[in-house]
Order: sequence, then C-alpha cells, then structure tokens
Amino acid sequence: MNNTALKINDEKVNNLPPVDDIRYITPDTAKFEKTAGGFVSLSIKPDEYYKRVNLYRSFPHRETRKYISVRNSEGKEIGIIKCIDDFSKEEVAIIEEELNRRYFMPIITKINSIKTEFGFFYWDVETDAGPKMFTINGGHSSVISITETRLLIIDTDGNRYEIENYQKLDTKSLKLVEPLI
Amino acid sequence: MAHLKEVDMKLYFDLPEKEQDLVAGRLADEKILYCTPYDIDSDGKYTDGWMIITKSRVILIEDCEIKEEFVIKNGEDYNALSFVGSGLLEVVVNGEVRPLVNYSMSHVPRYVYMARILNDLRKNTIPKVKSTDTETKCPKCGRAYLRGTKVCTKCTNNVQVMKRLLQVAKPHWPLYATVILIFWIITAIQMIPPILNEHLVDDYLMPGVKNMKAILLLVVGLALCALMNTLLTIIRGIVTTKLGGLLSLDLKSMVFAKIQSLSLSYLDQWKPGDLMNRINADTNRIQSFIQDNGAKGVNQIIILVAVGIYLFFENWKLALFVFIPVPFVIFFVTKMRKMIGMRFRSQWKASDKVNSFLQDILSGIRVVKAFGQEKRGVENFRKLNREFADITIRNEKYWNTLFPIMNFILASGNFLVLYFGGKFILGNEMTIGELVKFTMYADYVYAPLSWLGFMPRWFNDAMIGAERIFQIIDEEPEIRDADRPVKHKIDGAIQFKNVSFGYKSYEPVLKNISIDVKKGEMIGLVGHSGAGKSTIINLLMRLYDVDEGEILIDGIDIRNISQADLRAQMGVVLQETFLFSGSIYENIIYAKPDATYEEVIRAAKIANAHDFIMKFPDGYDTKVGEKGVKLSGGERQRIAIARAIINDPKILILDEATASVDTETEQQIQEALGRLIKNRTTFAIAHRLSTLKNADRLMVIDDGRLAELGTHEELFRKKGIYHNLVMAQRKMSRMQGPVT
Repeated sequence: MNNTALKINDEKVNNLPPVDDIRYITPDTAKFEKTAGGFVSLSIKPDEYYKRVNLYRSFPHRETRKYISVRNSEGKEIGIIKCIDDFSKEEVAIIEEELNRRYFMPIITKINSIKTEFGFFYWDVETDAGPKMFTINGGHSSVISITETRLLIIDTDGNRYEIENYQKLDTKSLKLVEPLI
Repeated sequence: MAHLKEVDMKLYFDLPEKEQDLVAGRLADEKILYCTPYDIDSDGKYTDGWMIITKSRVILIEDCEIKEEFVIKNGEDYNALSFVGSGLLEVVVNGEVRPLVNYSMSHVPRYVYMARILNDLRKNTIPKVKSTDTETKCPKCGRAYLRGTKVCTKCTNNVQVMKRLLQVAKPHWPLYATVILIFWIITAIQMIPPILNEHLVDDYLMPGVKNMKAILLLVVGLALCALMNTLLTIIRGIVTTKLGGLLSLDLKSMVFAKIQSLSLSYLDQWKPGDLMNRINADTNRIQSFIQDNGAKGVNQIIILVAVGIYLFFENWKLALFVFIPVPFVIFFVTKMRKMIGMRFRSQWKASDKVNSFLQDILSGIRVVKAFGQEKRGVENFRKLNREFADITIRNEKYWNTLFPIMNFILASGNFLVLYFGGKFILGNEMTIGELVKFTMYADYVYAPLSWLGFMPRWFNDAMIGAERIFQIIDEEPEIRDADRPVKHKIDGAIQFKNVSFGYKSYEPVLKNISIDVKKGEMIGLVGHSGAGKSTIINLLMRLYDVDEGEILIDGIDIRNISQADLRAQMGVVLQETFLFSGSIYENIIYAKPDATYEEVIRAAKIANAHDFIMKFPDGYDTKVGEKGVKLSGGERQRIAIARAIINDPKILILDEATASVDTETEQQIQEALGRLIKNRTTFAIAHRLSTLKNADRLMVIDDGRLAELGTHEELFRKKGIYHNLVMAQRKMSRMQGPVT
C-alpha cells in the first residue's frame, strides 16, 4: 500500500519485485540549477546535493523529453526524470541545454543536393545549426528509419543528423532523400 | 630515447590567411605548436573555429574573431569527453569545470590528443605526440577516401574500375579471345546474305530471266550461311559458358579470400547476410557483365562502326535516316543514367534487408520460438518482401515502358528509309535489290543501337556490383604481417609492456598494462564485467593491435611474428563454443588437419570427452554444428578443450564459461582444464574460485588498469578489490546452494 507514492496513476500496475523500482526525480523535491561553469547541478530535499550531474536519454530515438536518467559524475544513477516538462520553465531550459550538449544531432531542414560516387553519398544540406556538407557511406546502415517518417543519418565521421519527417520536406529534398531510405 | 608517437591524424593545420593575420599580433615570439579546427560554438551552431596552442597559451578563434585567450597553466586539468554526435574539451579552473571547445565527431579523436597535450604542457613536459598528414579525406577535393585506402575516387581516373574489371578477365584471355573471334566470324558470315539477296532480287527474280540454276545456287548459299551461323553459335555458347564458370570461380574466391584475411574490427561491422550478397549476387553481376555483355559489347560496337561506314558509303542520304534517331536516344539515356543507378541501389538495398532479416531470424529461431514470436516474424518478412517486390515491380515497369519506346524511336528511321528508298527506286537512283540489301544491313545496325540503349542498365548493374566488391577487395586488413614476419617456435614467456588500447582509439579500454609472465605460468584475469579482461586476450591473440606499448612473446614483438604462425601455436577455449557443421572428429582436428586418430582420441581423453563421444552411435563421426546433433554446454566445452589441446600449444587462452553445469560435468571439465593447463603459459579469465586458487598469479583489472597483481592468498589478505570480488562470489554460491 505504501508503494503507491512511487507508482504513477496512469501506469499499469506491474508485478515486478519492488527491489529495483525506479526513483523518479520530481519538482516537489528536486531543483536543477546552472553552475558557474555552465553545467547542471541538482539538489534534492532534504539533504542531497550534486555539484554536477549528467543527463542521458533512455530512449533517444523514441522519447526525447521523457525518462531522462540523471547520473552523478561517477556515472551512478541518481534517478529518472519522467518528463522534462514537469519542471519549471527555467529548469526545462537548463535541462534542454545540457541534453543538447550531449546529443548533438542537427535537424536537416532542407537538402540542397546529394551527389553519389562509388558507394559514397555527398550531402549538402541546411540544418537548424547552420549549413553543412557531409559524406555517408552507402553500404552500412547510414540512413536509419527510426519511425516510419523519422530518419537518423550517420556520416562517415560518426556525426548524426535527423530528419524529423521526411515526407514533410520540400519536394526537391524529398525526391533526393527517398531513394536512400 | 623518447619515441614520438606518430598519430594517424593531423594535429597541426595551416591557419588560413585571415586567421593568421588575426593571430600574428598576439603571438609575439611564440611558435604555434599545434593548431586544430573545431566546428560547434557554445550555442550549438556550426561555426568555423580554430584552436591554437603555443607553449604557454591557448587561443580560440571563431568566425575570424578571437573568442578567447587562455593561459594553459591556469587550468588544473584538461579533459576531452565524447558524447553522442559531438565532443567537448573541458578545463578545470579553481575547482570549477567549464567547457572550452565544442566539436563534432569529425574531430573527437583529435581533441583527445589535444587534452593530453594540454595536460603535458601544463606540467611543463614536452608532449610526446607528433602529427602526420594523413586523413580520411582527400586533401584535394574533400571527398572521403575509399575505406581503408588512400584512394580518392574522384581524383583518380574513373576508368580505373573498368581497368580493374579487365584485370579480372585477363587470366582467361585465350578463352575470351576465342569468343570474340567467333563473334567476328559469325558477323562476317552474316554480311554475306544481303549481297546474295541483292543479286537474287536484281538479277534473277524477274519474269523473263529463267535461270533456275543461279537461283538455286544463291538459295543454297543463303542456306549455308544460316547453317554456319547456327554451328558457330553453338560453339560460341559452349565457350562462353566455360569462360563464365571460370570467371565466377576467380571472382568469388578473390572476394572470399579477402574477407577471410580482413581483421575482426572490419568484419564486425558487417551483417553476414550482406557479406553473402557480396560474394554471390554481386560477383554474379560482374561475371555476367564480363562474360555476356562484355564480349557482346565489343562485337556490337564493331558491327555498328563497320556497317555504319558501309551504309554511308552506299547511300549517305538513306544512311542518315537510319542514324537520325540516335542522338535523341543517347541524350535520353544519359539523362536517365543517374535515375537508373538510384533505382538499382534501392532495389539492392531492399534485397539486402530481406536477406539479412532471414539470416537473423533463422539464426535466432530458438529465441523466436521461446518467446512465441513466430507470427511477428512472418509479418515482418512479408513486409520486407513486399517492399522489395514493390520496388522491383516499379523498376520493371519503368524498364518495360522505357525500352520499348526507345526501340521504337530507334527503328522509326526504317519508315523514312522505306519512303525515301521507294522514291529513289521510282526515280531510278536505286534498284530494288539495292534497297533490299540496304534495309537488311540497316537491320544489323538496330540491334547494336538498341543494345547501346540497354547498355546503361547492364553497365550500371556491373559497376555497382563492382563498387561493392572492390569496397571489400580494397580494404586493407588492419592487422597486417610485418614486412618480414618471423616464424617463431614459441617457448612461452609473455610480456606486456605499457600496453594501452581502445577499440575506438580515443576511448581506451586498457591503460598502461605491464606484466612479465614466465613460461608455464598460469595467470588468472579477474575484474568486473567490461573491465578489460577479454580485451587483454584479444590483444594477445593479435585480433587487434595495441595502440601504445608492446606485447612480447619470448622477447619478440608479436607484431613481428607471422599471424598464421602465432595463432597456430596458441590454444583457445572460449566461452561460447562454436562448432562447425561437420563431425566431432572434424571439429577436433580443426587446428591440426594432419592429426592422427590416436592423437584425436588422446586429446579427447584428456578433455574427458572420449567417453560421452563413444556413447553416440556414430562416435567421433557424429555430425554436430548447425545441422547435427545438439550437444549440451558441457559437452561442447569439452570438445573445445580437445580441439585446443591437440595442437600441443605452448600458450593457452581460456575464457571460462559462466554457465553452470551439473556438478559431475563440472568436475569433469575442471579436471580436463587442469590437464590442459599443465606446463602451458595460460591466460585465463576465471570465474570459479577453484580456478583462481590454482592460478600462479592473478591480474585484477579495474577500469582498464592493472589494479592488483599477486597470488590468491596475497590479494585476499590485501582486502582490496579482489577480496571483495571473492566475497561476493562466495555469497552467490552460498545463495545458490548446492547445484544438482
């Protein structure tokens, strides 16, 4: 009965043993702050304080704002944020900034051209981080369908790019990218 | 003698002019030691940035403006972190960490070295790193090099691929020449009938001229030509098939051999289904190109040119009509080439997906059934196949519309010829016979012309197949034998000297490991999962090469010993015992094909396997592996032990299985292992307390470093990491209770 505080009401009751239950970090006890160096600190009532925490997405492809694992500088998990938007606006901004630091994945807004030669594809695109040119290797799963419409592109250096919904691209871009999916 | 480690990466870039001017003033008399670019600013946007390092300072330039100047000694520590898709160089100042430079994955390895360099400079030590000029991109045009090579596909002649394909055909030159010769003869013979026809029509097929003998002769002549044609075509078919068979053999062997020789790090990136496609499907494509279209192509071009010249000679006005549609078709086709290539690629990609899926599911069919997911597998397969079918249908529709239309356009010249030819005849400029001859020859031209139309498809087919195959053939194995590898009879002393290694060079898994192992000593490797134990073993087997330091066997660097020789003298028993499809006997003699029956039985006895093998009705001839009898874990382990022991290896590598077996089998395995290890230098990843106790010394690996080294008693007394591991293990066994 006294476990209900940890079970969120819209979750199905599960039968897993409570030993490894998830510790959720919630706004009523936790506060995220920005450190002088530009990183994120966390304090949890009554007496926990972490000078620097690292944030990891549990489902980076499927859920970018939910189930964020909060870990201390040794890598041990402190808890999980169920949904970023549960926190205050300032904290959401801080969390987003830190997540964007860890997950650098510019979103491709427009494809100017894709040239191909000998199995390599040379892309020239516009992203939300600025214009970029990169190369992908046609053979090894460089264009991945995360969902039916969302694409993850990994170039030969390991950089990642995202196309949120390829069907919503302008016609020219759509035509260029479709054969590669 | 300090060796400057040469890194495969550029750490000293030449600053572009603008930036040079900007910095000139600030430098005073200090020299630029290192200069690297970076491409992400603090807002997460792309930028044009440079980091300049002098002996005492760091200068950051962004978008042609000095962003920051920093005295190196002000930093207490420099750290390069890699995230997902980017990296960060951070510095600790007054106890506070702050970011210094952001960069994309393209620069991550560079900045790992930068951090090290900065830390060295901070401590007043001279950085031990020197940059080279090698990169993964062509310096001239920025295109990526073909994997594993320094070949830029744009800056080298595109004809290269054709040349390489011809190289493949070269050894079979005589057969090839024969085929082409036969083509020529057939062509020559085909040139005759139109002339005969001309005579027939003009001179003899007229009421009034009653020369049946001449007609008969001409008709016989025509028949003979047809007969010769048929005979030669049969011969051609036979020779072509032989050529094809040999080509196929060569290509496939070449690709397979290359795959075998490549390093694990490269092969790990491929799915087996993809590799199979390369070996089979892609080589078939190249083969049919060389064999069918290649030989035919040469011929068609010759016919085209020869007949074309003749036609123009005979009657250039009519000839013109024949050739008018050609430029249109060529234009059309070149425009379509890119589209055609794309279509093929997507078709192949879909086909690859289907094959890999099959491979996956069928290998893991046990899991599929255990979780009752058969239906889902069927649905997924259906879906993938559907996609493949859709793409193929779409493509076929495309071809089947495009090419008939093209052919029609090509042949439309015919109508013009007939019309104007008729006019010429009526105007007495030409005889009927001449027109007949002309149209017959013209017909010869349409075949090559339309073939030229089909050419893009076949050519693309082959070129893409060639691309994919050469990708593999060009790959240089990372682990290469030295220029003059030594064959060394191993005695058994092993040394690790300051070995550091990371599967990704900027994420070290092992850090500065050193140990001197005497011949015959047994070393147990202990540590948490992922601490680096398997990596040590991988390095010893030279499946990967160290990043720093060296590994010596009997004083010789293993990189100087020929790989084949090295591994032939090592015995390996791994956690997962993989048995090939074959008999138990074949599996045991795998590393020593010339073993005698006695050696096999002896090895099996030492491994405590002989008895259970004899219980099988087929004994040592029992088929195991994918298609054979299912052996239990303990049985497989023991066969693996027999396999390892038969070679009498001086060095043994053991990765203890964690799976529990019944006590009796456990005892048998332990006993077998005990015999196996005797008098051999052994590296064992040990889990069982009993193994640990038997080891001469234990290496405790923690986070990549050699944390503790000593005997079981020594380490246990220390009450350090080892002690805790053992206590945890004991607790586990007590909890599990006696195993039935």
